[in-house]
Amino acid sequence: MIRRFGLRQERLVPAAALLLVVVAFAGTPLTTGHPMTTFDVYNALQGFAQIGLLALAIGLTMMAGEFDLSVVGTYAVGGMIAVQAGQSSAVLGLLAAVAAGAAIGAVQGGLIAWLRIPSVPVTLAAYIALLGLAYVISGGLSVTFKNQHATLWVDQTVAGIFSPRSLVTLGAFVLAAVVLGGTRLGPELRAIGGDRRASRVAGVRVDRALVLLFTTSGTLAALGGALLNFSFASANPDPGLRPLLIATVAALLGGVSLAGGRGTAAGLLAGALAVALLAQIVAVAYLPDYSTQLFYAALLAVIVAIDSPGLRRTLERVRARTTTRAA
Amino acid sequence: MTTDLRTGPPVAPARVPRRRPGSLAVALAVLVVALVPVAVTTDRFLTLDNARAILASAALVGITAMGATLVMIAGSAVSLASAQTATVVAMVFLATQDRGLVVATLLGLLGGIAVTALQGVAVGYWEANPIVLTIAAGFALGGGAIWLSGGTPVNATTDGYELFNSTPLGLPLAVYVLLVLAAVAQAILRRTAAGRQMYLIGENRAAARAAGLPVGRVLVLAWAFFGLCLAITGVFLASFNTSATTNLGGTLTLDAIAAVLVGGTAITGGKGSALRTLGGAVLISVIADILLIRGYSTGVQILVKGVLVLAVVVLVHVRAARGSR
Amino acid sequence: MTEPTQTGSQPLVTIDKLARSFAGVPAVKDVSFTVGAGEIHALCGHNGAGKSTVVKMLSGQLAPDSGRILLAGEPVGLRSRQAAQHLGVALVDQELSVVPALTVLENMSLGDIDAPLVVRRRAAVARCREVLDDMGLERLRPDQLVSTLSMGERQLVEIAKALSQRARVVILDEPTATLSDVESRRVFAAVRRVAARGCAVVFVSHRLSEVLELCDTVTVLRDGRAVVTTPAAGLSVEQLIVHMLGEAPHRLAATRRPDPDLTHALRVEHLHVPGRLEDFALTARAGRIYALAGQLGSGASDVLRALAGLHPRATGSVELRDRAVPFRNPVGAARSGIAFVSNDRKGEGLFLDKSVAWNLVATRLDRLGAGGVVGAGRERRTARSLAALATLPPDRLAAPVLALSGGNQQKVFVGRSLDRDDVHALLLDEPTRGVDIGGRAAIHRLLRSAADAGLVVIFASTELEELLELGDVILTMRDGRVVNTYEGGADGAVLMRDMTERKEAA
Repeated sequence: MIRRFGLRQERLVPAAALLLVVVAFAGTPLTTGHPMTTFDVYNALQGFAQIGLLALAIGLTMMAGEFDLSVVGTYAVGGMIAVQAGQSSAVLGLLAAVAAGAAIGAVQGGLIAWLRIPSVPVTLAAYIALLGLAYVISGGLSVTFKNQHATLWVDQTVAGIFSPRSLVTLGAFVLAAVVLGGTRLGPELRAIGGDRRASRVAGVRVDRALVLLFTTSGTLAALGGALLNFSFASANPDPGLRPLLIATVAALLGGVSLAGGRGTAAGLLAGALAVALLAQIVAVAYLPDYSTQLFYAALLAVIVAIDSPGLRRTLERVRARTTTRAA
Repeated sequence: MTTDLRTGPPVAPARVPRRRPGSLAVALAVLVVALVPVAVTTDRFLTLDNARAILASAALVGITAMGATLVMIAGSAVSLASAQTATVVAMVFLATQDRGLVVATLLGLLGGIAVTALQGVAVGYWEANPIVLTIAAGFALGGGAIWLSGGTPVNATTDGYELFNSTPLGLPLAVYVLLVLAAVAQAILRRTAAGRQMYLIGENRAAARAAGLPVGRVLVLAWAFFGLCLAITGVFLASFNTSATTNLGGTLTLDAIAAVLVGGTAITGGKGSALRTLGGAVLISVIADILLIRGYSTGVQILVKGVLVLAVVVLVHVRAARGSR
Repeated sequence: MTEPTQTGSQPLVTIDKLARSFAGVPAVKDVSFTVGAGEIHALCGHNGAGKSTVVKMLSGQLAPDSGRILLAGEPVGLRSRQAAQHLGVALVDQELSVVPALTVLENMSLGDIDAPLVVRRRAAVARCREVLDDMGLERLRPDQLVSTLSMGERQLVEIAKALSQRARVVILDEPTATLSDVESRRVFAAVRRVAARGCAVVFVSHRLSEVLELCDTVTVLRDGRAVVTTPAAGLSVEQLIVHMLGEAPHRLAATRRPDPDLTHALRVEHLHVPGRLEDFALTARAGRIYALAGQLGSGASDVLRALAGLHPRATGSVELRDRAVPFRNPVGAARSGIAFVSNDRKGEGLFLDKSVAWNLVATRLDRLGAGGVVGAGRERRTARSLAALATLPPDRLAAPVLALSGGNQQKVFVGRSLDRDDVHALLLDEPTRGVDIGGRAAIHRLLRSAADAGLVVIFASTELEELLELGDVILTMRDGRVVNTYEGGADGAVLMRDMTERKEAA
């Protein structure tokens, strides 16, 4: 089916989502009666820092037609390692976490690419194993992060609304945009997702690209977890599935297609920002927690419906039947 | 004439490979053989009490896994809404206890079936993506649960549900229900037309469609059965915990999927069986039990479970990929 | 038409005594020809003549058993399609290697090992623009998504991509098969430009008049041998057909069937599939076998698919045994009594990992027992009787269908629609594709007995022998329309001409 505004659709969805949420965010003072402060924006960006890297990680894998369920596990383990190893030197902790994340991602990427195993079961199994690993490393309890210097540093205000954490997250998106848009890796990634058979025929090194992809998603997830735990000054071995689900919503809002082949770093950024702003709106306006969940449910239902081939077929059938009757 | 690589020039008949036991069966045999000495040397393992404990801890996950097996065989991969569905059913069940146990149970079961069958309609008739659809359903049900309960635990006014906590012959009722459901699921898969069609649809949906098989109807059936299993799990959870909070479902979602995968069902569909899933659930429970008795922490149990799932997944899917090349 | 430019030295491509067999059966026996730089060389031949095998060898997908391929005088060993691409041999066939989700520009450099890691956008856009303009594609924009392009335009982008990646030899395998006249003309213009750039072009097509118009030289293959290589100038379609079929064209005796039942007919009127089939009508009677003779893109396959419910946009009216058929979805069509055997038994027909028995009973499961239960004994008996009916070896019932030969696989595929009292029409698309002679005879017998048992049998095929042997009524199709209807005797050459000649410009 020819998507007439194809290129624009993957820009349209995140742009619309972000615009709506920004407008709603700007309008919160009207409902709460309190004026907007820079602190509100700072908070929103902190929320962005919390899920941004996860959203980017999962968004990248979805662009290639895969789905990395293990990012939450890497998030937890990376964060745990960062806290344990970073008690005296935060940089060491970060490096250890990132290295672990890369290794975890690379192993999965290898299994998926070279053994041609679908990504969902591999990453799901890895998630369970990583959860266990996090428990083992932590001894089952939350681990306190004693490096107060690091904790204060990552969350200090920069230019009033940013923090080093949100800036790093932003930086990751910028780097992704540069790589996806300025090198041949971007088109190759989308080709692998859009039509893997044609990509292989065209000569794309699909296997190598997949390994690189999962290594990247593991690295990003670990980095995100590390920064978050520095900020919380503790490492929780089990953040649950919730971060994964929120990150998936952010990726879908960011214009990534379920089937793969579509998506931009800018779109993912917009999606992550939209989700973060939404969370902040809910907090500020004292909306009940279930409203976000129901809103996400409705959003995802619409996205699923649009991308369902069977629905399109039914519409075509109905249209054919009505034209026959009219004829 | 097109260059069709698949149906090229005529080939001579290929040699039929002798039916060797698959690498999965070999691996599982190895695992069991390795387990036996460990199990035998583990204190208190070979006791009746321990056997009961193993079965009991596998029961609820196993019940959900039965339904998840049918869904996975039919090609719908996984559902990420299991825990939320069970939680909502539990809430409904407890909240309506004052109308009598039968009514409350029926309401719970029907609710679970309806909510899940609806997802089956989207997956069956419209080829909706099951992962994202069930994430959406999870959000809807989770939000619904919070809204219904107002954030506080849902309690029952009477305790008619205690019936479900009975332990005939020392085994929780849930274990018997699990065995019955396993038999029912196996019968559906092996002996009914719908079950057979599930295997075919899971193996090659396009071929099933072109052959005129009722893909939509069969998938709705699979999902409805899944909903029944989720509802039964919710009822037992409610009875056991006597009150329902929004995270009553706990780790049910992934635990059920793990049990199905360890049983050797392929996530791409077309292969698997209810009995194998039962075996998978029990195997996971046995290993967790051995580790527990030997003093290993929860973390190690989970870690080993993850590694086990990964190993089985690799074996199952590598074999499948080799076969079709 | 340009004269092949002689460089004075070696021709760009030399095919020297290529031969290739599959499991002892020779597909190509002795093929030799040369193509010079700037020459457009056609490869013609009927089904099974060996065209696709030669193309696969030249593009690196198959290794020849004997013989050599030389590029600019140097013998080369083409190990894979990618290796061939690196050496400058590009293949444009039905399996496109352009990704719809990407833009034209992105597709141009996709998979190009010489492309730099960092994209120099301005230079890349300029080069893309240059190649597109060079091919007459001024209307296409580099940042356009390929998914917005028609099939013809995608084909052109594929050709542009080959040029952009410095191909010296471009092989086109049926490039215009599914294209409209207008789009075909643009492909020809592009091919001429490609040749003008000094590439050697190998053009494989069944559209003979197009071939004669576009190409400089023609090599005709028959039975795996190159029977003639001749300049296209002065050659007529009739002469070409004679070369392709042999000395005298087929003339098979008419096999008249007794006048069959009128009440159990399949009536099709105004069947229309947008873009593929226009106003098709047919009243097919039970007891007779109807043949739709048409090449790829003629609409023959689409007729069957529309009747089977696989074209949701189809319009028209279809009645089977005086009852309307809801033909826009496959479940409805199947329930009305239509059984469909597609041309892709591996992707859209059989359940490869399942046993032969499972496949045979796959469409009659609800009749193997009461209340939705499948009776094991009845299933076994049914599978065994079907296997016997389809002349399958009875000891293979438990084997996975994947392990069977192509012929036996096809027997399973056809066999599962037989002997069912709820099937009234059997539609088959290429019923003996990839099947050996013995299997072909067996399947033809099956179809004849199915017709005798009272089914309406309609099949689409491009095999002349099959059409003449099996078809009581032959409808030739081209470009989405019926060209002629032949009852009784027909001529192989006439059929061929109907299927391949381009419509006269109105």
